[in-house]
Amino acid sequence: MELKVDQELCLGCGNCVVSCPVNASISPEAYGGHGPKTEDVIMMVENGVVKLFNEDKCKRCGTCPLFCPTDAIYLE
Amino acid sequence: MVANTKEVKENDICVQRISPEEKRELNFKDDICIGCGICEKICPVEAIDLGDIGAIERNEIDESKISVDEEKCVLCGMCSSACPVDALELKLDDKSIKEMDEYPQLIKSAEIDDETCIYCKACETACPREAITIARILPDRSKLVTGEIEIDKDTCINCGVCEEMCPADAIEMEHHLPTSSDPTISSDINVNKDKCVYCLICKKSCPVDAIKAVCRSCSYGEYDLKPEDSEIEGSSFIDDDACVNCGWCEEICPVDAAKVEKSYAGELDVDLEKCNACGACIDICPCNVLSFPESTKPGEIVEKLKKDENFCIYCGACENVCPVEAIDVKRTDVKFTPTKSKSWKKQLESLKT
Repeated sequence: MELKVDQELCLGCGNCVVSCPVNASISPEAYGGHGPKTEDVIMMVENGVVKLFNEDKCKRCGTCPLFCPTDAIYLE
Repeated sequence: MVANTKEVKENDICVQRISPEEKRELNFKDDICIGCGICEKICPVEAIDLGDIGAIERNEIDESKISVDEEKCVLCGMCSSACPVDALELKLDDKSIKEMDEYPQLIKSAEIDDETCIYCKACETACPREAITIARILPDRSKLVTGEIEIDKDTCINCGVCEEMCPADAIEMEHHLPTSSDPTISSDINVNKDKCVYCLICKKSCPVDAIKAVCRSCSYGEYDLKPEDSEIEGSSFIDDDACVNCGWCEEICPVDAAKVEKSYAGELDVDLEKCNACGACIDICPCNVLSFPESTKPGEIVEKLKKDENFCIYCGACENVCPVEAIDVKRTDVKFTPTKSKSWKKQLESLKT
C-alpha cells in the first residue's frame, strides 16, 4: 500500500501537511498549522497543490485522508 | 506432503491442509481482529504479517488486518492460542483446539452475575465493543402508585388545561369543533388510570375545580403497595466474539456484578514529547483506553493524549499503529492454562517484553 495524491483534486489547503504526525516530527512547526521549513517532510503544498517529497517515510496511519476535504490524498 | 490451500472471503482468511490422516484448518475472522499483531509475534515460521491497521481501521482501505502466507504456515495453532480475542482459530478434524485440554488456552473471562445485577445498563453503555446487552422488564407504573381521581363532567368546561398540564399524559379528551347543535369543544374527558400517578397537578390547575383527586401514598403511606411490584426483572448477555475483556463493565458496575479476568498484564507508556496527536492509537484501541483530553476553559492547552490504563489489555495495537513511535506497550505477564509442551510454553512466554 502506498500514499498517493491526485493533484487535479487538490485544493492546496494543506490540511494533510499539518495533520501528518510524521511531518510534525520532522518539522515541528507543522504541528500547529505552519508550513514545514524543510523538504524532508512527506508532503508539502507547492504552487498551490500538494506534492509528495518523501512518500517512503509514510507509516500509513490514515490521518491525512481523514482531513483531506476532496480525497486528493489517499492510500492505495 | 500435501500443500496448504488458502481462501480469502470478505477479508476473512481460511488456510487448510487435508491429508489422509487429518484435516487442519486455520480460520481468521477479520471483524473480530483488533489489530494487535500478537499472532505475527508468536508465529514460529513468520507466516503472518500485520497489515496497515491504521489505514484499515480508519476505513481508508478495505483489506484484511493480517495476511497469512499459506506456503510458510505450518498450521501449528500458536496464533490461535495467543490471540487475545479469538479472531484466529485452528481446527483439527473440525474440532477447535480452544476446546482441547492438550493445548494451552489464554485465561480470560468476563461475566455478569444476574443474581447481583440491578439491570442499570451502565455496563452496556460503557462497553467499548457494544458486547453487552441488558434486557430488563420494568415494573408496571400503575402498581407503584395508589390513589383516586374523578372528573365531574357536569362542572368541566372542556378547557383542556388538565390535559396539557398532565405530566403522565393520562388525561384524554375527545376534541371537536363546536356546532350550533353541540356548542362544546370536546365531547368527553377521561383519565387513564394505568397512566395516572396521582400527582394532583390537574386538580390544582383546573380553573373550575371539576377534578377530585387524592394520592393515597401521601395521605396514608404505602400500606397498600406491594414491594414485589416494584422489582425489576432482567437478564444480561455478553457477546464473547465482541468482548475483549477490557474491564469497563467491572469498573462501572455500581453493585460489583461484573467480573473480568485479563490474559495479559503490563505497562502502557506514552511519550508525550514524541506524540503528534494524530489519533491513530485512539481509533485502533479496542478498549477506549486512549483519548484526547478536553480543555476545561477556552484557550487552555491540554496534554496531547490521555490514557486510562485500568482498561488496557496490553495487546499492543496502539504501539503498532503509532507512526512516530511514541507508544511503548510492555507485557509483563501472560496467563495461560498449563501445557506439557516446552516449545509452546516458551513461545507464549516470549510474548513478554
